[in-house]
Formats: sequence, structure tokens, C-alpha cells
Amino acid sequence: VPALASRLRSLVGADGVVDRPESLLVYECDGYTLERAVPEVVVLPRSPAEVSAVLRLLASERIAFVPRGAGTGLSGGTLPVEAPVMICTSRMQAIEAIDVANRRIVVQAGVVNQWVTNAVRAHGLRYAPDPSSQPACTIGGNVAENSGGPHTLKEGVTTNHVLGVELALPSGELVALGSAVEERPGYDLLGLVVGAEGTLGIVTRATLRLVRAPEAQRTLLAVFESVDAASAAVSGIIAAGVIPAALEMMDRLIVQAVEAAFRIGLPTDAGAVLLVELDGRAVGLDPEVERVVAVCRASGVREVRVARDELERAALWKCRKRAFGAVGRLAPNYCTQDGVVPRTRVPDILRAIAAAAERHRLRIANVFHAGDGNIHPILLYDERDRDEVRRVLAAGREILEACVALGGSLTGEHGIGVEKMALMPLLFSPDDLLVMTRLRAVFDPEGRANPHKILPDARVCVETRAPRRQAAM
Amino acid sequence: VTDLAAIVGVSHVTPGGSADAVDGRVPSWVVHPGNAAEVQSCVRAAGAEGLALVARGRGTHLAIGAPPTRLDLVVALDRLSRVVCHEAADMTVTVEAGCPLDALAEVLARAGQWLPLDPPRPHATTVGGLVAADLSGPLRFSQGRVRDLLIGIRTVGADGALVSGGGRVVKNVAGYDLPKLHVGALGTLGIVVEATFKLRPRPPWERAVVIACRSAEAAGEAALLAGDLGPAWLELAGPGGLPEGPGEGAAVVVGAAGIAEEVADAQARAVDLARASGLGALAVDDGAALRARFAAFATEPAAAVLRAAMLPTEVGAFVASVHRTGGPVRCLAHAASGVVRIAVQAAEPVAGLVARLRPPLEECGGSLVVERAPPALKAVLDVWGGPGPAFPLMRGVKQALDPAGLFAPGRFVGGL
Repeated sequence: VPALASRLRSLVGADGVVDRPESLLVYECDGYTLERAVPEVVVLPRSPAEVSAVLRLLASERIAFVPRGAGTGLSGGTLPVEAPVMICTSRMQAIEAIDVANRRIVVQAGVVNQWVTNAVRAHGLRYAPDPSSQPACTIGGNVAENSGGPHTLKEGVTTNHVLGVELALPSGELVALGSAVEERPGYDLLGLVVGAEGTLGIVTRATLRLVRAPEAQRTLLAVFESVDAASAAVSGIIAAGVIPAALEMMDRLIVQAVEAAFRIGLPTDAGAVLLVELDGRAVGLDPEVERVVAVCRASGVREVRVARDELERAALWKCRKRAFGAVGRLAPNYCTQDGVVPRTRVPDILRAIAAAAERHRLRIANVFHAGDGNIHPILLYDERDRDEVRRVLAAGREILEACVALGGSLTGEHGIGVEKMALMPLLFSPDDLLVMTRLRAVFDPEGRANPHKILPDARVCVETRAPRRQAAM
Repeated sequence: VTDLAAIVGVSHVTPGGSADAVDGRVPSWVVHPGNAAEVQSCVRAAGAEGLALVARGRGTHLAIGAPPTRLDLVVALDRLSRVVCHEAADMTVTVEAGCPLDALAEVLARAGQWLPLDPPRPHATTVGGLVAADLSGPLRFSQGRVRDLLIGIRTVGADGALVSGGGRVVKNVAGYDLPKLHVGALGTLGIVVEATFKLRPRPPWERAVVIACRSAEAAGEAALLAGDLGPAWLELAGPGGLPEGPGEGAAVVVGAAGIAEEVADAQARAVDLARASGLGALAVDDGAALRARFAAFATEPAAAVLRAAMLPTEVGAFVASVHRTGGPVRCLAHAASGVVRIAVQAAEPVAGLVARLRPPLEECGGSLVVERAPPALKAVLDVWGGPGPAFPLMRGVKQALDPAGLFAPGRFVGGL
């Protein structure tokens, strides 16, 4: 490793290589903290060309690597598993081109999500995908994970907004997939790379589609006695032909935590609260608000508040966006699960979550994207209580099994990573997984790009190393 | 043949005739499997004999693509035509590949929903064809393309395995996005037997405004301004691009869809925009009918139809340059998507036009595809153009999923 580190320094500069044990600790996990592993060396290239040079060196030595952006991922996608080298794109921060007339922007992989919208706001444009971590997470990570966010119900997720990427293959070769032009004949390899969790190579640049900032927005908060009533309202809103920009649900435990943290006057005895945002042309919005309010009334809403101005709107969003932070008040540790059910099955999955909580003597809070059935149960625990950690893992698995049984998916936006690799056979047949394995080999024949992620075949040999990786437990 | 007959029944295997030809190549047999399992068996039987096959829905869009290098068997999916599951409250639909789009639309309309993809000839276009040929129409500007709406897929692979990707939920990042890989792949990676889409509420109102412009360049400018209005669709017609007008000039057509208040407002804005630029504007009440006519442009009679892709800002100047090169052509563009179709009325100028227009487009990341042309013309043309820097990976994908070249050999980019 010392020899490798010095060769890496010659490629990216002395300040671009981390190999002191105490400095490496920062990189032992991402937002998924249940498993930890320290890389042997971290390299931080400053440009796509340096990524390419680093990968050529690793290719010549047949060394495996794991890509990382800001480390905000939630499924352990950046956990180094039999990959000694971590390649961080966080120093690649250039916004290379803004094309206002065509609504395109070209950014390097380390550009933070929020910076994209900041860079184009003056032109009345924005970048639509808005994961909760948007002040920190990078576009490279968003592309790898196909990130979503509250506002993707109407606008779609990352894959709907990426027109092209430059991909550094494990060989070090840089290849352009897609471009600023909307279509090009050929297989949609761009679609394959988005959401591939860094297993096909490292995205170094992305050409993103920008959307017009909406002319007007209406945000309302609806308070219900029960999650069933709130769920009925969700289905009713969709059935009324309204596609809100966002449609978020918070259950009682979350509402209590948020209220304790921010004191914005939420009723702490409510069963569930819906946050609904409508956007678009000003002229069409008020009729839509009326329809949403009518649906809520029909579903037995206790109270509806419509934000009267931007200040009130920001306050309503604050309670949603900071919900995860508020959870810190409830327990020393928490694990956010991510699953999907058809949106009509939200009441069923909430019941399954409650049952799992009872069975495993856990507290589970729920704050999630109800509009697209993307649940986020937050399992509270104390990592010093090893039995509780085991129960958290068991409950998480049961919740995901319930999602699949209800016709849903293992993950809506956090990815498979290491966390859910073993569950993939619940969703996909051996034939499906074989096709994915073959596709991976086209890009990465030696299996050096983020090994032991997504595809479960690899898990078998990984689990034997569990003691090292699960040190945190 | 006896193998095939044993699989699907004797009445569902017929000898290929000229009506079954794909770009002039006549298959020996046409087989009509009745379900996905029979498709699997047919593929296994074909694979065992080393036959080359092309999957077919209604055959309406088979003109897209290069002529197959080999063709023994057409697998007709007309018997796989069920709407498997329309979950109206979830706004998703799972449908078999052979289902025609008009039949699907009828089912969805009962719940006030639609699959907002509007290719030409929806009555004669199947779901499988929609996916395999990546068909779209004017609505793509606001509603996206197949890749944006397809959330799950079932295909039969070269080894006869049933391979699924995606699922039935609208948000899903589990595993590689296999559905997208089959979109526009022209059936060269497998036979699509079932697809799941997310749906949208069908807007109750759809109207349009036609803005008359003096030239294609002026229309390009007007289209960029109109794009800021956030229309449902935005078409640009070059001189003579529409049969009944706009004559020597060009036109921009702004589509508005939604509730009555929104549509009236959008129409008024488009008219205001035109007047502010000193242009004439005509409000059209039946926006959906007008849009369907624009969608039909791609399959209207012509010696050849070319499809060019570029940045939206280049559309006006491109259309103008196509007309300046002379010859009897008509142009219609999905202006805000940067897609221009050129209907060439006579066969002679096609090769020259392709040779002249393609290189500058490809230099800027764009493309020029010969979307429709008779086999004789295709024989002397490069239908797809340069496959681009990602071609080695594409070839790798083809080899990984169809190593023996069972599926539509030679039909796709770079001879895949």
C-alpha cells in the first residue's frame, strides 16, 4: 500500500491521497452505519482526467476500488468490501457549462445537488431531483443511486433528468454516454449506468436537464386522526386526477419529534399529517387546492392549513426536511429503511410496520413519500444494545419482505448497496440476476468496480468476512 | 416447423409471404404463440436450429431499422394482447406486448387516465412495438418518452429464459434498469412480452394555437419563446410542413392541456406572445385532433422519412437549411425536444441529403436516422449513422445477451 499511495500521489498531488489510519476512519461508512469497513487508501482526483489516470494505474495492478461522492448514501454503497482503494469525487466541483436556452447544465461529479439549482435560479430554472441530503450530496452520487426526493412525484427521479454522462470505465477509459441532445440511436446505456451504484464505472461528468421553476406553488398541511384516513386522502387526491408536486406523510411519532424540536404548532395527538404541494400555472392552482381540500374533508380531515406566503411554506417544509434530524431526540441511533408499495397499499404496509415494531419491541417512526408509495420507516435503537441492533435488522428485513409481498420493491431511492443485496432474490429470479451479472461484466470484466454490491452472488464470499465489516454492531 | 407446430398448434404456424417481409427479406415461417411460455419455447426451438427471428406486433413500424442480415422466423405477438392489470388507483398498467394502443387507451380512459405516448397510427401500433422502436409523438415534451414511463418489463432472452426488470411500482431502484435497455433496441436483445407503465390523469381539455411565421428561422425563435410558456406540446412546421398550410411560411403550434382555466390561460398567453412579435395567431379548439395529425407525419406517404436530433435552439436554422438545399421536402419538428422529421417526396435526393446533413449533426452529439425508406433505398444507405463512442459497449451488451445473433441480426446500430 505505501508504494501504491506514493504512485497515486504522483497522479493527483500530495493532498489528494489519504492513507493515515486516523484520517481513513472518516471513510469507514456512509449514511448506512450498521456496517463499517476502512479503506486502505483514499484518493481524491481533481478532474476526470485524474480519475482516468488513477483507474489506469489500478487496472495495471488489478486492484478493486469503490467510488464515493459525499458519503450521504443510505445503503452502504460506498462501503469498501474487498476493495482497497476508495476514489472520492468530492474535489471535482466544476460547473462546466450552463445553456439557459436549451435548459442544460454540465457539471463534474463532485458538484453538490443544491449548487446546481443555485447556479441557475436567476434564470428561472432548477434541477428537479431533491433528495433530503441535497445540501451535501453530489451529482455523481445521485447518478449512481438514481436518487429521488419529495418533489419527484411529479417531476421524476434522477434518471429522468440526466441527458448524458461521462463514464470512467474500470480500465480507465473515459466514454461519453448520451449528450446534451435528447436522443441518439443505440442501446440506452445511460439508463443502465444511472442507478448502477458505481458497479459499472465512475461517473465523472453529467449533462443535466433543467426545468422551469414553477410559476406558483401552494403548500398545505392536513391533519388526520389516523394513518388510514390520511392514506385514503392520498388515494383520493390521485384518483381526482391531481398530481401534486409533493405528497408526504408523517405519522404521530414523527410529528411529536418534529414538534418537540421546532415548536411550529403541529398537533401532537394527530394520527398522521399530510404535506401536499401543488405547483404550476397560477391560474390552475386554486381550483386544484379546492379539490385537494375537498378530498381531505371527504376522508375525515381534522384540520387543513394552507400556507399563506413563502414564510409559512418554508415552515411547513422545514418540519418535513428536518424530520430525520428531529428523530435524534427520540433515540441515540436510527436506521432509515426504504421500500416501495403500490400507493394503494400504504395502509397495509403501515400495519405491517406497526406489527413488526410490536413483535421486535422497537419504536418505528414513519415519514415518507406517500404519493408514490415510497415508505421510509425509521427504526430507533441504541447501538450499545446489541440485541436491539439484531432486532432492528430483523424488523427491517420483515418490512422489506412485506413490501415485496404487497407487489412493491426493496428500494425506491436508497439503492441496494450491501444492505439489501441478500434480499435481491425476493424480487428477481436467478435468470433476471444472471442477465444483470452479464451486463456488469461488459463494463467491468474483472469485477473491480465497487465489488460485492447489488448482485447477491458475491454475498456468499463476503459474509464469511462479516466480523470485520460489522465491527459497529 | 413440426417443433413450432407442437408448441403453438398447427393453426398458429404459417409459411411466410411477401406481406411478412422485413425490409424485403421474407421469413420462412410466421409463428403466433399464445402466451409468454410459448414464446419461450419458440425461442428455444429457433435457437436450437440457429434460426434468426424478428418479433412483430402489427408490423406498422417494421420499416424502422436496417434490413436484417438473416431472417427465418417472424414471431407474431398478436395473440398476446391482454391488459393484464390496470390498477387505476395506483395509476399503473401491466399489458401484454401485442395489445394495440387504441385498445389500451380505451381501458385507461374509463378511469380518466392515459398512457401519454402518442406515436403515429395508435390503432395499428402495439405496446411491444412502442417499446422496441421507442415511438413517441408531440406529447413527449411534457410527458416524457417510453423510457420515462416504462417501469417494468418482461422479455424472453436468447436462451428462452423469461427475464424481468423493474416492477409494478412507480419508484424503484432495485437492480439494473433493464426496462430502459430494451427501449428502442428493436428487439435485438430479447422479445418484449409484457410491459408495465405508469399512467397520468387524462387532461379534460386540450386546445392549441397556431402561430404563423415568415420563415423557419423565425419559427425557431418563436418556438423558443413559446417553450417558456410550459406548453403540453410544441411543434414547428417548415414551409409546406402541413398539407393545408402554412404555405410559403412556417408555423409554430402550441398545445395546451389541463383543466379549462389552465387551457384558456395558456391559449391566451400564446396568442399574446404571437401578437407581441407581430405574428398572426389562430386558436384551434380540437387540440387533440391536431396533435394526432402531427403525430401521423412520420408514417405519411413519402419516399423516405429522416429523423434528425439536435439541440432545441438549432431546430429553426436546421429546418431552414434543409429547405435551402432544395428538393421536395416537408419538415415537422418536436421543436422543444430537438427532433426534426424530414419527409422526402422523391427517392433520388435522399442519399445526398443524408450525406450532407448527418456529419454536422453527429459532430454536435446529434444524429440523423433514416426512419423509413423502401428496401432498395436502404440497401445503399447507412440507416443509423455512426454509432458513437459507446459502440464497443453496445456490441458487448449484444454479445452478452444474444451471443448467437438470434434476435433481428443486423437490424440495429452498427450492424448489431
